Amino acid sequence: MSYDIKRSVSLYSYQDEYYDGVLDLEGCLRETAKTGATGVELLAEQMIKRFPESIDDKFCENWFETLKKYNLEPSCYDAFLEFVLYKNRRLSLSEQIKMMKRDIDIASRLGFPVLRTLVSTPMDVIEGSLDFAAEKNVKIGVEVHAPFSLNSSWADGYMDIIRRTGTKHFGFIPDTGIFCKNLPDVVRDKARRMGATEEGLKIVDDAYANRREKGFVKIKYDLDLGKANMEYRMANGMAEMMDAVKALGDNPGNMWYAGNSFTYSWSDPQDLIDNIDYIYHTHSKFYNVHEDYVETAVAIPEVVEAFKKAGYKGYLSSEYEGGEHLRDIGVDSIEQVRRHQEAMRRAIED
Amino acid sequence: MAARVIFKADSFKSVENGFQFDWKCQYYRGICLSIVRDIKVNIDGEDIPREDISLSIHGEDFTLNEMETVIDADFRWEFGEWATLKVKKEGGLAKGPHHIVAVQNIAPSYMPFPWVVTCETDFEI
Repeated sequence: MSYDIKRSVSLYSYQDEYYDGVLDLEGCLRETAKTGATGVELLAEQMIKRFPESIDDKFCENWFETLKKYNLEPSCYDAFLEFVLYKNRRLSLSEQIKMMKRDIDIASRLGFPVLRTLVSTPMDVIEGSLDFAAEKNVKIGVEVHAPFSLNSSWADGYMDIIRRTGTKHFGFIPDTGIFCKNLPDVVRDKARRMGATEEGLKIVDDAYANRREKGFVKIKYDLDLGKANMEYRMANGMAEMMDAVKALGDNPGNMWYAGNSFTYSWSDPQDLIDNIDYIYHTHSKFYNVHEDYVETAVAIPEVVEAFKKAGYKGYLSSEYEGGEHLRDIGVDSIEQVRRHQEAMRRAIED
Repeated sequence: MAARVIFKADSFKSVENGFQFDWKCQYYRGICLSIVRDIKVNIDGEDIPREDISLSIHGEDFTLNEMETVIDADFRWEFGEWATLKVKKEGGLAKGPHHIVAVQNIAPSYMPFPWVVTCETDFEI
């Protein structure tokens, strides 16, 4: 089947340089263009000050001029629905829909064809925003981030909305953290710097390999994400693994590695093929790409192969998340994104 | 959790009946102050009462209780931006070395658990 796989960079990737004042928004766009990516994904609340009031006509005009200067096009707008804005209550349904519409409108004005919403977004908020999304021609994609997965009872609820309403403006945005063959090496190395023992690391690595072998027990849909997450962890043998790690003694490195191991998961890339009609964008999450352009955890070649087979027409957007494990020794997001883009280019073009 | 450098090293100052310093928010986007659930400060082993802590953003000071309702775009704690933490303490801080342990507790709506980060540093007045 014919495919058109394009490359984008999520500016989330450059967060360490932005935080340290090394790059500003334009600097991030400049770096994105240098990698050969043609798309740009933005977390407005991360890099646009005085959100949302500052996003006026003048801002938009400047935004498009800057994109033109670097020959980039908007790929995806990452929204954060702050529905517990106040400590004492959740926003009402209509307040949440209003907030969602605000973000859809901003995404549209900034030229983004897709809006990422988080797994925490209630289904009735999505459903209540669909007409507006259609009017603005912005597709809403719920992020399928580890530990969630496509082809699951969790995803079925969203599929029901799609089938029932017949909408062309709601689907999925897989995050490739759900395609981790093993735990990232930068995480393991950080655990070592925290004093983890090889024995402790092995227990955790073996437990991950075992989960992958047997198949992960999938997380269920529940607006109480803490509860859903804890049930998921227990169903996947967390208690047994923690006991084995604790039996080695009180070691913060081992314990940290063990706890962190549940933020990654493995899904069969076939899931992408099965759901391709509803995949509007992809977060190409990665943790560490070596000099030889090999990612140590995420199955990039397998994911790209599945997208080719499926005839995917959309973006793979680099989302670097290894930096948070390197802050004690130094982060170079710019080089990591460059390598990741090259790794994707090779997988797409070769 | 995120282990970013949050304290501005040369910003620690003793003032009349208190002290202050500049720091950044550990979380990865700009936030409404209303989702800051708590800030804890321990200076040289002494816990500071909650009501003696305030945060100054763009020229306005907010106590922790006041922050709970601050959602104005003008007073977001922007990602990567310094804000001044002001602490009331009788007599301020003595000249010499000090040690601070501070906790940021931020609750982005989508996260199953709040984002609680403890940071500490040595500094000199």
